[in-house]
Amino acid sequence: MSDELNTNNVGWKAELKLGFSYSGTKTILSKRVHKGPLTVQRPFYPEGGVCHVYLLHPPGGIVAGDQLSIDIQVEDEAKALITTPGAGKFYRSAGQQALQTVSLKIKENATLEWLPQETIVFEGAKLVSDVRVDLATNARFIGWEILVLGRPAANESFNHGEALLNWHIFRDAMPLFIEKMQLDTNAFFARWGLKGYSSCGTLFAVGANQANLEAVRLLIADTPRQGVTLIDDLLICRASADKSNIVRDFFEKVRSVIRQDIAQQQPYTPRIWAT
Amino acid sequence: MHTDLSLIRLLQLVSPTLPIGMYSYSQGFEHAVEDGWVTNSTEANEWILGVLEQCLTRVDLPILSRLYDAWEQHDIQSVELWSSTLLAHRETSELRAEDNQTGQALARLLAGMEFEEASRWQRKKNTALATLFAFAAVKWGISKESALIGFLWSWLENQVLCAVKIVPLGQVAGQKLTYELSQKIPDLLEQGLQLKDNEIGGSVFGLALASSRHEMQYSRLFRS
Repeated sequence: MSDELNTNNVGWKAELKLGFSYSGTKTILSKRVHKGPLTVQRPFYPEGGVCHVYLLHPPGGIVAGDQLSIDIQVEDEAKALITTPGAGKFYRSAGQQALQTVSLKIKENATLEWLPQETIVFEGAKLVSDVRVDLATNARFIGWEILVLGRPAANESFNHGEALLNWHIFRDAMPLFIEKMQLDTNAFFARWGLKGYSSCGTLFAVGANQANLEAVRLLIADTPRQGVTLIDDLLICRASADKSNIVRDFFEKVRSVIRQDIAQQQPYTPRIWAT
Repeated sequence: MHTDLSLIRLLQLVSPTLPIGMYSYSQGFEHAVEDGWVTNSTEANEWILGVLEQCLTRVDLPILSRLYDAWEQHDIQSVELWSSTLLAHRETSELRAEDNQTGQALARLLAGMEFEEASRWQRKKNTALATLFAFAAVKWGISKESALIGFLWSWLENQVLCAVKIVPLGQVAGQKLTYELSQKIPDLLEQGLQLKDNEIGGSVFGLALASSRHEMQYSRLFRS
């Protein structure tokens, strides 16, 4: 199978809207609307009242011209965890951009964990990824983005292609954090960029405290290319490595350390990550 | 002879002796050296140019320009919004603190010199350096273009000063670096001014990582 499928395709348009509400005993998936090849499995409850959902994208990868839109709303007091059963993929493009838009709205005292598995950006892919998080005053959030540029296992580098990665985090409609990263071949190799490391990632946690910062610093110790900062109650971890599992292991450990304070839940690893 | 007082004011505003503490910040550069990412003048050039092109040109310049317009039009609501937006673009706690502290220091200075109205920015959480820099430029009749060039110049001079201290580099190598990098300013100015609101933004992964790691660096000269 070619990794350059559908280059002249007008692209799939897929849309998914989910709403989570607290019923008094647990969080239920109260709204589910989808168009095109983007859906979720039946929600399940491996740890009490937290609603776990797997996001499915049956085509298995995103090609030039595709447009994916994901809209999640977590109502007051609700607790949801969203992950994916496997790595996301953006295939090589001969011209057109692929577009992925994610909107995450988290209401009062609600918690969302947004934990997609890593995204593989093939050499030559062109994509724009917009993630917008809208938080109510006391909303809680843990989210990450883990990227692999090129396919190092296939000796592929990132000599062409472009990923535009935007994160906008608002609280009470005021800008809390804005990131607009352009990862192209220049940024891939530059010493101010990835220095040729094929994997990078950013983890955000809202509702964090000074003790969480200290705990993550202990985790990092003298590991190279891993960092953490705390801006008010927004914790941001960044890491780069030559293998994505190094970035991911770090983020999973961070999540275990901070989850109790942020989500009021014991550490729990979604089982699908082990498969 | 025509005496351009606004030029003299600009020179004072961008002087490294302006007491707002710029010399105590390196913007992640110190850690880039600590981790061995920058070891000589060529690498310092690449690092500084990267941050200049990716971040200063895409974030600071367009927002400074909008702040200038807002002050000129007495549009305080826009000043507040762009000031908060600028800080939201700073990737780490220390980069935010630097921008906030130097901005507050400039507010204190301007209030003490001539402009009482600057005093309300002395303790505000969303005060950024560019907020008060734009305010002073408008008050002193400095043109927007000159103000933007001056802002880039003073940032560049400060980064090169850091490089001289911590790479370290000789004085001549430092001046050469400033001489080479400053040639880019006119082009970058043009690029930065063309950006529309939704195009503003430029995160530099290495800078964000270096600055995060700097926050836990055991022994350091600089505050960022």
